[in-house]
Amino acid sequence: MTEMENIAIADQVDHSSHPNTFLTKYVWSQDHKVIAIQYSITAIAVGLIALILSGIMRLQLGFPNEFSFIDPSSYLQFVTMHGMIMVIYLLTALLLGGFGNYLIPLMIGARDMVFPYLNMLSYWTYLLSVMVLVSSFFVSGGPTGAGWTLYPPQAILSGTPGADAGILLMLISLVIFIVAFTMGGLNYVSTILQARAKGMTLMRMPLTIWGIFVATILGLLAFPALLVSAIMMIFDKVVGTSFFMPAILSLGETLDHSGGSPILFQHLFWFFGHPEVYIVALPAFGMVSDVIAVHARKNIFGYRMMVWAIIAIGGLSFVVWAHHMYVSGMNPYFGFFFATTTLIIAIPTALKVYNWLLTLWRGNIHLTVPMLFAIGFIFTFTHGGLTGLMLGNVIIDLPLSDTYFVVAHFHMVMGVSPIMVLFAAIYHWFPLFTGRFLNNKLGKFHFWGTFLGTYAIYLPMHYLGFLGVPRRYFAMGETDFIPESAQTLNAGITVSAIIVGLVQLIFIANVIWSTFKGKKSGRNPWQATSLEWQTAQFPPGHGNWGEKVPQVHRWAYDYSVPQVKDDFIPQNFSPEEVEYLVSEQNNTQEKK
Amino acid sequence: MQIFKTLQIKPWLPQELEQEQETNLFPSVLNRDKAATTALKFFLAVVSVIFLLFTITFLQRTQSFDFQALSGEPWLPFTNADILLQNSTYLLVASISIILARKFAELENFKGVIILLTATSLFTLLFIGGQVQVWQQLNQSGFYIYANPANSYYFLLTGMHALHIIAGVLVFIRCIWHFLLDLSYQRLASRLKLCALYWHFLLFIWLFLFFLLTSDTETFKTIALFCGF
Repeated sequence: MTEMENIAIADQVDHSSHPNTFLTKYVWSQDHKVIAIQYSITAIAVGLIALILSGIMRLQLGFPNEFSFIDPSSYLQFVTMHGMIMVIYLLTALLLGGFGNYLIPLMIGARDMVFPYLNMLSYWTYLLSVMVLVSSFFVSGGPTGAGWTLYPPQAILSGTPGADAGILLMLISLVIFIVAFTMGGLNYVSTILQARAKGMTLMRMPLTIWGIFVATILGLLAFPALLVSAIMMIFDKVVGTSFFMPAILSLGETLDHSGGSPILFQHLFWFFGHPEVYIVALPAFGMVSDVIAVHARKNIFGYRMMVWAIIAIGGLSFVVWAHHMYVSGMNPYFGFFFATTTLIIAIPTALKVYNWLLTLWRGNIHLTVPMLFAIGFIFTFTHGGLTGLMLGNVIIDLPLSDTYFVVAHFHMVMGVSPIMVLFAAIYHWFPLFTGRFLNNKLGKFHFWGTFLGTYAIYLPMHYLGFLGVPRRYFAMGETDFIPESAQTLNAGITVSAIIVGLVQLIFIANVIWSTFKGKKSGRNPWQATSLEWQTAQFPPGHGNWGEKVPQVHRWAYDYSVPQVKDDFIPQNFSPEEVEYLVSEQNNTQEKK
Repeated sequence: MQIFKTLQIKPWLPQELEQEQETNLFPSVLNRDKAATTALKFFLAVVSVIFLLFTITFLQRTQSFDFQALSGEPWLPFTNADILLQNSTYLLVASISIILARKFAELENFKGVIILLTATSLFTLLFIGGQVQVWQQLNQSGFYIYANPANSYYFLLTGMHALHIIAGVLVFIRCIWHFLLDLSYQRLASRLKLCALYWHFLLFIWLFLFFLLTSDTETFKTIALFCGF
């Protein structure tokens, strides 16, 4: 492969570098848009597996002992795989690998990522990690059932489902994923820092890019903790070292391990695990800000504050990790420290919520499907965030730890909320991807089904948690403190979950149908200001900008500008072009 | 701090537009060298975090009851760490020769470039060979990877370091390959600049690991006391 091909067309038009065979165009593609689609399809496919797993878990919980193919071991395996796939292989990959890849070059006015070859390699490495993970379903003993946190010593001891091949494949898959993410992440930050179009200063970048940028830095600095813990656990399992393994009796047998610290693993895991929440949340924050601004025809309220908040949340996310470990027997002063930092992180987060609301305030709100999902997100995120404040306090967390309250909290805040934004983003940017709209009626049905359905699932879970119903249990058995009605509630949750799952099939059908038969959108259908909608060719072709890369003259939020035709000014409009828009508007008014 | 100034900009105000026209803030053509340097710096940050985390776990483990340092007593392998010193010298020479190779590339001296590129490859491979030899010696003397946490960490940390070196060698070979194809001294020099940064970084990491892994129990006690373990 020659050097020219490696560079692709990162900084100049070179017609010879346009791919022209099916393989180079759609399979071994170095075009960030194709790679983004590849990432997205893989992530959604593996996410569907995780969705089905959650459905099976719900069947067991709602109707215990009705389904013979679910036993306690397989239940734990489904819990584990559902969690890990959703957090890492779906959300991280779709938000950064999918939307990050698609939007970064287009929104900052670059022709492609600065290292297109590395970008392609990142996707194929990610696909390999997914294949290794999924292969664990087919090995003897099945996938690991250690819970998505993979806590040792139980994760690698016999007695835990998948303690032989399953856990190893999981750890190896994570290592491969981290390599893939690092390749992608280095590309994203270098592209944002070095390949912005002329005039695109940092403070003119749309918030989507700010969110992706800071989340990528978090990922680059946090994933090493998972890498380190995965490597050390592989050593413990395969070579017999004792990094995390204490002296232990297993099934009546004394093992050779001694002196290792399982708590150390917990620290490493959560040092990754908490920033991971924001690796998922920050791009979502950014994208929802842009969707709200466009569909409310209003500049985002407090742009600077929003940027500062993204950075502050990113920084703080590294000093709160031990709030996941209040029950591990830590020094009470540590608990105090981590509770305090956790509460502090609520300040920039709340600031963002207020700013979204104030952007909506007296805006020209268009209740399009993306906007519905964006408003839905504000509800679910506020809801999940407030229960987070409760759990951030040691004294409230201790009784609620490992109950359904925690399950409800983290599903609202990092399951449903980012997914709402992802849907908003897909409905919003679908015309950019395909030149067509997603079907509006199906979209609205999808929104209401998902929004009301997820509330029907997770709101009752908070009550189950208060009752003390423990998470991760295959069956509740006979307990005095859990009333009969809890089981009725569980059955209701299961019915809602199945309905929400089915509604997602309508979404998938909508995407497939609309890709080919959807209503044509035309250029810039939402009348957005940001650069991705201003390409010469629509939808954008290879190299994004045709002959000339755009020059940026303003920030991305000039909406409802008085005296301007069409009420908005795209980022790449020069002062002369703006004058033309003003005169056009004057002409129209005179005619009236 | 430029970043704080940048973050105070109010992009919605008209004067920001005028300011931009005066200063022409950003070049329109991508500078690939700058982009590669940025990416490498971020990568070095990632690698630093990896070794930092390993080190923290190691320091904690040095204080456990079953930890037996690898130096301090006459029968321990690194009380006399001559072989590791020898390996360090290899890596040091490789790091120096890579700088010289860049100088010669700037002078467009083909012979000098080839000799120094070969020297860099050779000394780096000698380093890896030397490390493998130490692993074999440890195994032969009964210091197995699972026998003691100090041994485990020795193999783990030096293994991770060696993996990074090998990855560097692969990139380095690619640089040589491209140079032989296009004979562009300018490109070679800019690539070698990045390689040199990586080599120096790995030399630094190695010297740090060398100090860490060959310290005796007393030193670990002092460090742990200092770090609050």
